[in-house]
Amino acid sequence: MTDILSGFGQEIISGIALGSIYALIALGFTMIFKATEVVNFAQGDLMMVGAYVNFFFVSTFLSNSGEPSAWTFMVALLCSIIFSVLFGLFLDFIINRPLKDAPIFSVIMATLSLAIIMRALVAMIAGPISLMPISPFGDNSITIGIIVISVLDLSIIASAIILVIIFYFIFHYTKWGIAMQATSEDPVAAQLMGIPIKKIYALVWIFSALVATLSGVLLAPRIALLDTSMGFLGLKAFPAAVLGGFGSIPGAIVGGVILGVIETISLGTLSFHFEWIKEINDIIAWFVLIAVLMVKPNGLFGIEKVKKV
Amino acid sequence: MKKIIGVLIVIGLFGSGCVKRAPSPGITDSEILIGNVQDLSGPMKELGAIIPNGSNMYFEYINDQGGVHGRSIKMLIEDHQYNPQKAVVAIKKLIEKDQVFCMFQVIGTSPCEAIRPILAETGTPLIAPATNSGTMSDLTKQAGDLIFHTDTGYDRQAEILVDHIMEKNSDAKIGLVYQDDDYGQNVLLGISRAESKYGVTVQKESYQRGAVDFKGQTMNLLKGGLTDVIIAGIVREPVVIMKTAEAMNFKPNFYGTGPTIDARVGKMAGSAGEGFTATNWSYMWNSDYPGPKLYRDLCEKYDIPQPYIGLYHYYGFATAMVLVEGLNRAGKNLTRNSLIKGLESFNEWESGTFPPITYNRNDHAGVDKVQLVQMQNGEQVVISDWLE
Repeated sequence: MTDILSGFGQEIISGIALGSIYALIALGFTMIFKATEVVNFAQGDLMMVGAYVNFFFVSTFLSNSGEPSAWTFMVALLCSIIFSVLFGLFLDFIINRPLKDAPIFSVIMATLSLAIIMRALVAMIAGPISLMPISPFGDNSITIGIIVISVLDLSIIASAIILVIIFYFIFHYTKWGIAMQATSEDPVAAQLMGIPIKKIYALVWIFSALVATLSGVLLAPRIALLDTSMGFLGLKAFPAAVLGGFGSIPGAIVGGVILGVIETISLGTLSFHFEWIKEINDIIAWFVLIAVLMVKPNGLFGIEKVKKV
Repeated sequence: MKKIIGVLIVIGLFGSGCVKRAPSPGITDSEILIGNVQDLSGPMKELGAIIPNGSNMYFEYINDQGGVHGRSIKMLIEDHQYNPQKAVVAIKKLIEKDQVFCMFQVIGTSPCEAIRPILAETGTPLIAPATNSGTMSDLTKQAGDLIFHTDTGYDRQAEILVDHIMEKNSDAKIGLVYQDDDYGQNVLLGISRAESKYGVTVQKESYQRGAVDFKGQTMNLLKGGLTDVIIAGIVREPVVIMKTAEAMNFKPNFYGTGPTIDARVGKMAGSAGEGFTATNWSYMWNSDYPGPKLYRDLCEKYDIPQPYIGLYHYYGFATAMVLVEGLNRAGKNLTRNSLIKGLESFNEWESGTFPPITYNRNDHAGVDKVQLVQMQNGEQVVISDWLE
């Protein structure tokens, strides 16, 4: 019995770590959707670009300084953050502004195209060979009782929680955040009220690129080999965002963690004791998603919007 | 009388070989056009870039020496993104539009399985499919007579690993982590044969291609109290599984099939990868056999970028040698049939890159043995003879 409990505890912690990865990506989806009602299908690929850029900075600094140190990773992270701010601005300039008055469907298609273009460009620039990212935390892990967790996983969980708190605060308690919500509700009325919606849109894309870069930096060493297919993880995080309630910031982390825990437990304890679970591992998360949406169509934390005609 | 004379003349011309036969597609006096379908932009694009580069290096070397019977080899490459449907479209284009003489490599078990009907329909040979799957040398399957496999099948590799484990410890509790696709299915075939042979049950855990987290599976291996674990993965999977196991203080002997022979597995896994043993079906690219020596010389001669040099690039080079030998043996009057006959004349042919290869009408398997390569102090060390 103790074995089962310890296994279960380990799986829940591991699931939370996996779920936090989904949460970080889902947070990026949520940001853009919350302010512009656009689903950015390039979010996973934004994360991939962030991971590549950070790898470039880390390896450049390492080739100059030799031994990896905390400073190397800090400076590389800072450079990557600066890059993501500029890249977010650039994306706003090439995607959002030209399509400002276009139907949302067109903007969504543009994000899909952007994802393909980014994947192709990174493959052209970085070459076909997969990269081997170095973890700033090494292979260190912490043992709490019978549960083991790597420092990298802990940092992913902590980042997800901190970012969710920061962005929740920004969106709900700052002037800019409320302006973002107003812009999402009715861009024309918001503009008439004096809200600089161009700046708001640019800010949202910057936030989104920033979250993507941070998640890319943390995730790259965890997946051992970095290649452009990392962007496809965005598709796994998408159901997390829907489950939590698309557009809800706390929903992103709750949805991510629920899916992460379900995935780990079904691959672990459930598969171990019930052979048939192995056959349906891939669809269990989708079953849960459909079940939740049947009861709460807007997701766990989604707010029902009623549009009056 | 005139008619009879005319008929006799025609028969005479046929008999003396003066009538020109319809040329084989893809063959001119100066060129042999071959087709290759790789993953250039999908999940295995790394291999898609490296493997054909190794083959082209050898073709360039042969072309520089005057080609095969005076014909230079030119390879056209299409992209299937590791998608079997796209592989069918790509191979149709190569065979019907570009009129290639034969197909070479084609990466991936599922894409290779998907193109069997078009190979059979057009009578196009496929030399050295770039997959270890044992199904490639199954002559009872469609187009089996047209496919010449070079690598030891995944099923054989898995069986040999179980033999090795049971020989070391007859009480071993064995586990398997496999990719849930054609690759994994072929490994399962070998494992099930080994289970019957030794009367044991292997604990099986699967994962989807592209998975990044293996905690659930690793926990199950731990719960099973296993002494030996075989990972039928590529590169990321063994690295992450071994690191996860090490963090949980779970230290069975780890083994790998097929692509896990990649030296990066041990390097990236660090201390967790120490002792990891993988199956190898060709001479090591950095060994002292004549094939690897020639390989390294050519890499230098043709200025191959450093990141390309290694296992997969060498594999492209080694399989190209098999094709070129087949073309050589087919003779000056090259046809698809003469290529098949040329290849089926291999009798313990020593290329210097693979162990001796024999092909005949009843055997298109190529290499059927492996040697075991273990990570020791961060280096790959050969720890066994060739095991059959």
